[in-house]
Amino acid sequence: MPPVHHNPKPAGFGLWTLDFRLWASASLLLAMAAPLLAQPTSPPPRDPLMSLMTSQPQIYISPSPQATASFDPPVVRPGEQAFYRVVFNALEESIEWPGKVAAPAQLEIRPGAHSQILQMVSARLEPRTSFNHRVRAANVGMFAVPEFVVKVYGKAVMVPAALLEVVAEPPAGVRSTPRLLLELPVTNLYVGQAVSVRLAMPGLAGGIVQGLGQPQLTGQGFLVDLGGARQRIEMMTTAGVSLPAFFYETTLTPVMTGKLTVFGQGFIAGNRFSGPIVITGSATIPGGPPQYTLLESDPIELHVRPLPTEGELPGFTGAIGSLAIGPPKLGTNVLHVGDPVRLTVTITNHGDGPLARLVAPPPPQVSDWQVFAANDFAPAQPVLQPHTIPPAQFGARTVTEAVQGVVAFSYTLIPLTEAARATPPIPFSCFDPGTGSYADLTIPSVPVTVQPSAVAADFQTLTQSASTANEAEKELTLRGLAAARGRTAASLVPPQQQAWFPLVQLAPAAAFFGLWKWDRRRRYLEQHPDVVLRRRARRALRRQWRILRRAAQLADGPRFAAAAVSALRVACAPHYPAEPRALVGADVLPLLPELDRSGRAGEVVHRFFEVTDATHFSTTSPNPAELLPLQSDLERVLQQLEDRL
Amino acid sequence: MKTSRSVIHPSAFRLRPSDFGHWTLDFRLPSAFALVLAPLLSLAAIAASPDTLFQSGATAYRAADYTQAAEAFRQSVTLQPASGALQDLGNAEWQSHRTGEAILAWEQALWLDPYNDAARQNLRFARKTAQLEAPELAWYEVISTWLPVSWWAWIAGGSLWLAVGMGALPGLLRRRKAIWQQATAALALMVFLLSIPALFGVQTRARIGFALQKDTPLRLTPTREAQTLTRLAPGDPARWLRSRGRYALIRTSRAVGWVEQDQLGLTCPKTGKRVG
Repeated sequence: MPPVHHNPKPAGFGLWTLDFRLWASASLLLAMAAPLLAQPTSPPPRDPLMSLMTSQPQIYISPSPQATASFDPPVVRPGEQAFYRVVFNALEESIEWPGKVAAPAQLEIRPGAHSQILQMVSARLEPRTSFNHRVRAANVGMFAVPEFVVKVYGKAVMVPAALLEVVAEPPAGVRSTPRLLLELPVTNLYVGQAVSVRLAMPGLAGGIVQGLGQPQLTGQGFLVDLGGARQRIEMMTTAGVSLPAFFYETTLTPVMTGKLTVFGQGFIAGNRFSGPIVITGSATIPGGPPQYTLLESDPIELHVRPLPTEGELPGFTGAIGSLAIGPPKLGTNVLHVGDPVRLTVTITNHGDGPLARLVAPPPPQVSDWQVFAANDFAPAQPVLQPHTIPPAQFGARTVTEAVQGVVAFSYTLIPLTEAARATPPIPFSCFDPGTGSYADLTIPSVPVTVQPSAVAADFQTLTQSASTANEAEKELTLRGLAAARGRTAASLVPPQQQAWFPLVQLAPAAAFFGLWKWDRRRRYLEQHPDVVLRRRARRALRRQWRILRRAAQLADGPRFAAAAVSALRVACAPHYPAEPRALVGADVLPLLPELDRSGRAGEVVHRFFEVTDATHFSTTSPNPAELLPLQSDLERVLQQLEDRL
Repeated sequence: MKTSRSVIHPSAFRLRPSDFGHWTLDFRLPSAFALVLAPLLSLAAIAASPDTLFQSGATAYRAADYTQAAEAFRQSVTLQPASGALQDLGNAEWQSHRTGEAILAWEQALWLDPYNDAARQNLRFARKTAQLEAPELAWYEVISTWLPVSWWAWIAGGSLWLAVGMGALPGLLRRRKAIWQQATAALALMVFLLSIPALFGVQTRARIGFALQKDTPLRLTPTREAQTLTRLAPGDPARWLRSRGRYALIRTSRAVGWVEQDQLGLTCPKTGKRVG
């Protein structure tokens, strides 16, 4: 590696600086990049999910989708059911199928199954979507469903016309597709009661049997356990003839009450089986590509009742069936405080129905134990698959003692005190549809010996929390009525959302603002006392003015003269540092305009002061009434003085 | 049952200047009839008072006529919301198997009076029985549940103006600021600042609602033909985000979607909306 020249040298002002040369930096970068360039270029690893997606065959979307229409079988007897089937080479979501198909009035037509399947055609998948309609004609004749237009991928696709011939005796050469049969052992069910369902597709003459693709149960208000589905080929006797048949079995659980309608459907899949299949007996499975014809069974009506509320026992978690509880198994009967121990109990189904997933009862809240459910309330799957009922006995309800499944519940228990002598019983119950009542399946106690532990103090908190939770659980009951109406309010809307609330909050704001303005004005007046004096003088002047006018009206000369002099004094007082009563006429005159002092105004001022002074100080008593005619002149003088305030 | 309101006809008394300069009372016969009728109408109004309706609801509840009891309690709280009446309304609705309405009524009882232990216990009982979850509250919303909702606004307003007053009045009145005045101002300011989160919590809690109907569809768009995202059980909590037409956008613990406004009962109903 080339040397790097980092030469510290003293700077001019006494500090050490770094002399970093350009060529050395470039060589350093090149040296670092050299090993990278020498490495072989390898593509980044592919995303496994992307690899999986790209490895799948492409789905071919036809630019010109087509439709075929046919009756299955094309020739039937009067009253016999046939299927009007329309098949598109397009995705089901892209087809705007009409709700009603135009058909002759004599032909009863009702919608049936519809589904889509992907068919492998020359290394690519091509969708095939089928729409079935059940048709039935009461009379003989030729019935045609005319051609009509359906929008596929937004394009108009013509569905060709199809012809159904109804004759009294169909010719022997007419061959129909296999029929699909739906079998349920019981149709009167309770909500949540699982029932085995079987789809059977009998083979054709000669022992030819085919598989069923995408089998499903269609309807509303029930759940189908796809995880427990099974398929097999066995011999089936129909009309005295034993033929191989394809069977698909699953479990149906109604979740709604009332009348539910269910029917089965699936595609004829030839030798394509999805999942493992058990073949019993001799059967011929044809080769070649399957035709994927959509079949459907006749609908079956289920009558679903709600579970009774009377007699419900503690610990009911929805378990339905003829169940029995086995003896609980404890890991050990000798424990130490704080040591976890596992409790396992098995629930066995002895009924003729399947055992669906069960929900374990919740762990009890007791003071001496801390109990945890091992499976955290998740439904427990039966560990033993339901017994396969022979085809001839399906629905006969003859199997009563066979074990239909076993479910194991597990709990982890921790003793909190030495006082525990037995594990707590765990309430559990189920509803038996056979008897129509609830059955107690409480997990019983198991005697144990609890020994002290070295760390028993650590469990004091657990003990307290368990007991507290227990008390809280006990209080969970519906309280009675309140005796009084309690705390009332004008509205449920909080005050801050009411329109008046901001106004109420503005009131103190306005008060504080007023106080602030008042204080500001007060401070201003304190700094300018002349303003106060002038204001007081104006106020006093107006008061005296009113008095003199009233006196003038009443022709009260003395009062008029006194009020006039007083008015002249208070109007002049702010201009002198003196009391108004100390002012004389000579003090008033300088405040008048220059011309008025020696004019009429000055004369009026002199006159009023003379008369009033004479009234107070002279022996001769003047007549103040003589001043009354001077009111207008006086008011002019007072106006001039007021203007100066 | 409709409430009647006593009304005095405006023409019953009419003041007019008489010929001799005084004001006289123009008393007409129909108006006099209305005057006599007014006390009777007032009595009818008293008969439909919240207290009377509350008592009639309690009587119907004890007679196991829960539908009638719920109706009486609902009218009582419509006239004047009260915590006890809402609690009893919740009981009657619960007994009528109307879980959504019951939970809404109990939540409203706690909204008015968080110290109503009976309503709180009933809510816990109902949620445990119906396997429902309680609304998840933020910390400021939890604080707002410590006191009745109407208190927080007055506490905030009062403490603010008390702090302002204690700080400003001595200066305005030319008094020396005493220690107790400064301490009071600081305390009031602290109370005001602490009450702000609670006020915000009240605002956000007011938008909490509960599904009223069974299998209330939560739609992807505010249209009737919209895809249903999920279905809400009666009593499921949700937060009202906004409304559009007759639909409301809500957020539940599972998804955000639209429901019809009538299918959601708000704890704090807007004007003209459902109470209880």
